[in-house]
Amino acid sequence: MNTFTALIKREMLDGKNGYIRVPAILAALSVFLVVVSTIGFGATIEFDDVIKDHGTVRNFGEALDVAANSEKGDRELPAAITLSYWVMGGISWVALPFVVFFSLLSALYEERRDRSILFWKSMPVADWQEVLAKLITPVLVAPAIFLGVAIAAQLLVAIFLSVVVLFQGGPVLELWPLGTMFGTWFVAISYYAISTFWVLPLLAWVLFVSAYASRLPFMWAVLPPVVIAAVEGLLFESTNFLQWIGVHLGGWQEGAFGRINVDIDGPSDLLDLIFGGVQLDALTYTLASGQFWVGLLIAAGFVYGAIELRKRAI
Amino acid sequence: MTEYVIEANHLAKSFGDFKALKGATFQVPLGRILGVIGANGAGKTTMLNAILGLSSFEGELKVLGLDPSKDRDKLMQDVCFIADVATLPKWMKVSEVFDYVEAVHPKFDRAKAMDFLSRTNVPLDRKVRALSKGMTVQVHLAVVMSIDAKLLVLDEPTLGLDIIFRKQFYQSLLEEYFDEERTVIITTHQVEEVEHILSDVMFIKGGDVVLEAEMDELTQRFIEVLVTPGKEEEALKLGPIAKGSTFGKSTCVYKDIDRETLAKLGETRRLGLADIFVATMTGEA
Repeated sequence: MNTFTALIKREMLDGKNGYIRVPAILAALSVFLVVVSTIGFGATIEFDDVIKDHGTVRNFGEALDVAANSEKGDRELPAAITLSYWVMGGISWVALPFVVFFSLLSALYEERRDRSILFWKSMPVADWQEVLAKLITPVLVAPAIFLGVAIAAQLLVAIFLSVVVLFQGGPVLELWPLGTMFGTWFVAISYYAISTFWVLPLLAWVLFVSAYASRLPFMWAVLPPVVIAAVEGLLFESTNFLQWIGVHLGGWQEGAFGRINVDIDGPSDLLDLIFGGVQLDALTYTLASGQFWVGLLIAAGFVYGAIELRKRAI
Repeated sequence: MTEYVIEANHLAKSFGDFKALKGATFQVPLGRILGVIGANGAGKTTMLNAILGLSSFEGELKVLGLDPSKDRDKLMQDVCFIADVATLPKWMKVSEVFDYVEAVHPKFDRAKAMDFLSRTNVPLDRKVRALSKGMTVQVHLAVVMSIDAKLLVLDEPTLGLDIIFRKQFYQSLLEEYFDEERTVIITTHQVEEVEHILSDVMFIKGGDVVLEAEMDELTQRFIEVLVTPGKEEEALKLGPIAKGSTFGKSTCVYKDIDRETLAKLGETRRLGLADIFVATMTGEA
């Protein structure tokens, strides 16, 4: 286990730009934007004439007070605040797919290109351990870091807004719907886990390419699927292959969530929907899907192939 | 019973039609420093790659009792190697290289590595990328010398190093690293620099092991004679494996002919390893 931890650490060190700097910078940027827009554009703090209907509301603190005491406040406010934290602290997610893709693509390619594979192979570490570490780091560890950074950004935004509201004499505690916040974090984890297992055959393909390509790994990763899709289109005039890829990339949600009657009226409805059964729906749909299991088998095949290629690589 | 570190039986390897190794059979016992010498493309690296579990092979090969093509990771507990120059990961800092090896290799002694490194000018917090070629080799040597291995394989270990460090390196290899519980295999083109530390040599040519001998024995088997004028014909009759001339006198190299017989032909002297290699490669075959 010690060895595996060391391998994960090494992968983190190797990819620290993508795994740590990118999400940290993006999160810092979103927090910065929140701070600047709050302080810089007085409208958010000092409403003055902006909101005509609520003549008594002069700033954010008072607006929060009004919202908390309104008819639907108990229900809607925690949800609204939690969701806005996700928006305000959350743009780093955009980068995650790129980080995962390019980490996998270079995983077993760069070490051959720069010959460091000869050093790694002089250590008592089995090839399957190396390959698994290079799969797990981008696929599991990187998202965990991205989530951690997103959570940290949400907390920073919450702390900042608390200070603002504190000065304005508003109800600070309303800004900390901790139960709802924790809930969304766990939902994010479970949603990501299911999505990851769906997309695993594609990720494993990229890892396999990085073990196989002697040069131009990007072309090797992208061209064969394009060619297969084109050949299928020309010969059979169908798009089954692209549809298959689409389902694994996220299209499976249509099947999983298609039956859900979406009638969202306000943020709490959205959260209720997310908490109440959608995750379970996703799980049961996934476990019952033949395509899902076939995808996992294909993924296992590519990972096995990557290990065998790593054994022979110098 | 002698304990063998390496036992090869008809070890062969082909790349397509090209036979890089043509069925080499040899044993390497524990407690030796073996020099593997051959021209470029003779099959040295192919042989070492097979021994180190870096490539597949035909025939039988046991290294420390293990099949290297199947058990590379287990084998690397007791085998250490530098297979090429500049294979250290360039994005790592020197200290991070040590951290990694310390974490994955149970037989790595960090204090020892730090001691080796303290004799150089290599800064610990520098990235490998920012080191000179020579410094990179120094770091790598510090790593392998600090691993308590039974077999150390060095393929051109001192390439790119200045002569002072090369001398120091071979000296510390002999004095601080080597003992009868270890075997070291070295390949190098700078034969003169290693011949005084070798206990055994192996010559490889065209994928075959053409000679395998102990150093002491070898230097006695090859004798060069500065033939006294007038005795040239006599000298030729004894069948020299190589001929030449220096200072207007002809010289002949003999293999396995006793010194007393040869002394009658003229002045005799022992050959250096490089000369023996050249004589063997150009003469006999």
